[in-house]
Amino acid sequence: MATTDPPIRLRRPLAARVATSLRPALWVGPAVALIVVVVLWPVIVLVHSSLQNIAADGYVVGGAGGRNFSTLWHEPALKGVVLRTVIWVVAVVGVTLLLSLALAQLFHQRFPLRRLARTALIAPWAASVMMTALIFRWALDPNVGAVNIILHALGLMHRLGSNQSDWLGRPGWALVWMMVVAIFVSLPFTTYALLSGLQTIPGEVYEAARVDGAGRWHCYRTITLPLLRPAILVATTINVINVFNSFPIIWEMTRGGPGYETSTTTTFMYILKQSFIGEAAAMSVVNFALVIVVVLFFLKVTRWKEQVT
Amino acid sequence: MRQRLFATAVAALAAALAVAACGSSSSGSGGSGGSGASGGSTTLKLVAADYGTGPSNTSAKYWQGIANAFHKANPSITVKVTVVPWTNFDSEIQTDVQNHNFPDITEGDYFSDYAQQGLLYPANQVMSDPGRLLGVFKKQGTYNGVQYGMPFTTSTRTLFYNKKIFAKAGIGKAPTTWAAVKADAAKIKAKGYIGFGLPLGPEEAQAESLLWFLGDGGNYQNAQGKWTINSPQNIAAFNFLKGMVSAGDTEPHPGTQDRTPLWEQFAQGKIGMINGSPALVPIIQQGGVLKSSDWASVPIAGKSGPLTKTLGVCDNVAAFKPNGHGAEIKKFLDFAYQTKYQLQFDHEYDLLPATTAAANKLSSSPLYGSFIKALPGSVQYPSDTAWAQVKTQVQNQIGTAVTGNPTSVLGSLQSTAEKQGSQ
Repeated sequence: MATTDPPIRLRRPLAARVATSLRPALWVGPAVALIVVVVLWPVIVLVHSSLQNIAADGYVVGGAGGRNFSTLWHEPALKGVVLRTVIWVVAVVGVTLLLSLALAQLFHQRFPLRRLARTALIAPWAASVMMTALIFRWALDPNVGAVNIILHALGLMHRLGSNQSDWLGRPGWALVWMMVVAIFVSLPFTTYALLSGLQTIPGEVYEAARVDGAGRWHCYRTITLPLLRPAILVATTINVINVFNSFPIIWEMTRGGPGYETSTTTTFMYILKQSFIGEAAAMSVVNFALVIVVVLFFLKVTRWKEQVT
Repeated sequence: MRQRLFATAVAALAAALAVAACGSSSSGSGGSGGSGASGGSTTLKLVAADYGTGPSNTSAKYWQGIANAFHKANPSITVKVTVVPWTNFDSEIQTDVQNHNFPDITEGDYFSDYAQQGLLYPANQVMSDPGRLLGVFKKQGTYNGVQYGMPFTTSTRTLFYNKKIFAKAGIGKAPTTWAAVKADAAKIKAKGYIGFGLPLGPEEAQAESLLWFLGDGGNYQNAQGKWTINSPQNIAAFNFLKGMVSAGDTEPHPGTQDRTPLWEQFAQGKIGMINGSPALVPIIQQGGVLKSSDWASVPIAGKSGPLTKTLGVCDNVAAFKPNGHGAEIKKFLDFAYQTKYQLQFDHEYDLLPATTAAANKLSSSPLYGSFIKALPGSVQYPSDTAWAQVKTQVQNQIGTAVTGNPTSVLGSLQSTAEKQGSQ
């Protein structure tokens, strides 16, 4: 704020000053408006809906106070759904991270056709998640699925069309296969995030460590991983949010399974929405709060501010 | 100083925007006002269920043909046809209504709670002669004494069985009791086929369950209209089914299997017995595996004898009020319900008609005759306004009764139904 004006000069009229000061809003305005309309306003409507009594055809009958939340709390399926969601997120994000660390390390080396391999890695990310889930569902078909036919040919599957070959009919195995699909579609992004992190680590650090006599595994543990922390942080946060909200994989493969036996909180909310809109809104509010809490907790624990500055 | 002024001005703008947003967020009930029917063209939105098995016989073709012919006769009215697969039909219509994105005409499932909410036109306002429709289905589309749901196509259910598999398994005749069904299914399973195809997945679990309830004299409601989902007869039916499932006499995990894939497997000759309707016939013919001498249809087996009253299902046309197109809808429905179009639909999909005129034309047909004769005495779904929501719950949940505890699953469905009814 350069004070080029002489101190005795009168200030400009208020209207002019307001107009000038609002000029930055012209640049910031559209982005802020977008955030308000697309993010904030739906959240407000969501919380409002969760406190209403809404009939199954969409008519707002009146206020419901906390009744939607208490009905949700007493749903017998809720405990299983929440437990399954925790297992789903932890397993998918954890395995994705481990595999991506390995893949990023691999793609960091020089080998022939590396560029081609790196480009091919984008395919699961670029393909529609719903299509990937559908393809896997057909591959797991008890009678004609590709996976079952291969297993049968290898002698690992006794009979096609049996209980054993109906992977998606058994809630436990259905969850495992859905996690496989989720990991498959999460790998590209995580690998690329970690790869770019690896590429920012200067080579001199490794030279210095080697001069001091550090072994390869020791190098990895004490140099690579700590320096990768920002990238791991970003990848994990985004993965947790995406996997928690993941809908197409579960919906296309089992529709939440017999009853709610393969549902996570997201598909549970969607199934509830068909008949009990207020309760589904309450579940959405809980989901939203959960994901914010998890991300904030994660960021606090890893002291993210220190990484960024 | 300048930054503070900027912040204040922006805050004032944001507050103004927020107030404007909150003010407009409570949209009025009912959609946009009726279009000016006098002069200018009207567009009717028709949402129909897909009865076809693929792009070659999709219902869109049937409806588009009618829409085009209708447009020629009435150039000021255009009918926009949308066809939705059965598995998505309920959720699609329910979502549209929840979002106040009302169609004009729907063909498929009928929701009597929409009649309760005043969303539908009575049948006599959108059809010149509702008496042309089969009288036996009037009650299921009636609310408060007024008919809102107009039957469009009907079917009855019978037991289909594969004669070739029966011969291979050494079974002489079709089963007529539950015990015979179980015994036959076990013999078929021993030969490496699926004994009984039991679809309890979300597509039509409510129909399959009702056929087994009827076998023991049970039903969703009793004659007084009180819900009896967890009656002892119904629980006994599902205990029997649970026994069959755990013995492996059915396909694996029936709660996750839908009707259409199982019908297709029957057409491929992989299943010994399955409950079906006339609509299964074209699927068998298209499959190209079974000849017409390889399969037959008999009355459904009940606990101690074959069912005398089978499930009569009708799919309804409903006319929605909020867009205000009543006069145009009436013109279209009078056009679409002509006997020639009813017969065209029935021949395309091997279903039964909903008008008395068309039914009379088909009553002497070798393929349809017996099904048509069974129509007047058939059992319907409940006409209760809570049925739409109960049906959704049944579709989602009842499959768990054959792997879990039938008493608790049917009990929770019963309490849901009672809760819905009391609202």
